[in-house]
Amino acid sequence: MLVRRFPRAIGSLPLLVAFVREFFAERGWDAEHAYDVDLVLEELFTNMVRHARGGTSEIEVGLAADGDALTLRLCDRGVEPWDPEQAPSVDVNRPLEERRPGGLGIHFIRQIARDLRFEHLNGDTIVTAVLAVPR
Amino acid sequence: MFRLDPAGEGTVRLVGRLDGAEAERALPSFAALEGSIVADCSELDYISSAGIGVILATLQRLTRSGHTFRLHPVQPRVRNVFRYAGLADMLGIE
Repeated sequence: MLVRRFPRAIGSLPLLVAFVREFFAERGWDAEHAYDVDLVLEELFTNMVRHARGGTSEIEVGLAADGDALTLRLCDRGVEPWDPEQAPSVDVNRPLEERRPGGLGIHFIRQIARDLRFEHLNGDTIVTAVLAVPR
Repeated sequence: MFRLDPAGEGTVRLVGRLDGAEAERALPSFAALEGSIVADCSELDYISSAGIGVILATLQRLTRSGHTFRLHPVQPRVRNVFRYAGLADMLGIE
């Protein structure tokens, strides 16, 4: 697994994009197919930045590929238990005036990821998402 | 980086990546849009939930004032995100 730590800030997003490009380049994958990885990673990372309480100044991000599965793992150390999957589902069929943007990030991940798990172990929140290898 | 460029009467061009780092910076540009707008998204390479929030707020504001907000054309992967959000039809995305 290719692992790196990023400052806990929205301003880290361009660094995450570069990290995904590095991962793709190492495997000879076309960066044109990185969209879903970028999206799932951004939504998980920004959720940690905005909603996790406590924690260190950095969030650890790992990427791994095995067969037709691509795994993203984010580890947020020293935070209070936090599980965005407990948030109510977004109703994307509501009339326009009743629509609110909140919760769409997790909704997008549910559309894309084969599997999504949140664990809280010894003060660390670990989020693992499994996607199909981009083609 | 993200840019919102004027492209003639009632039309603008969205260019780049409208992600969580860019969406807040883009707010004033979207807030300045008035009247019915068609946004050319052929060079919009990426959008996340943060960008969708800006588009949604703009659509709601313009619709309340009796105008329309349409996105055309839109790249396939960006179009998928609007479909996930249930906003593709409201924005005239084909």
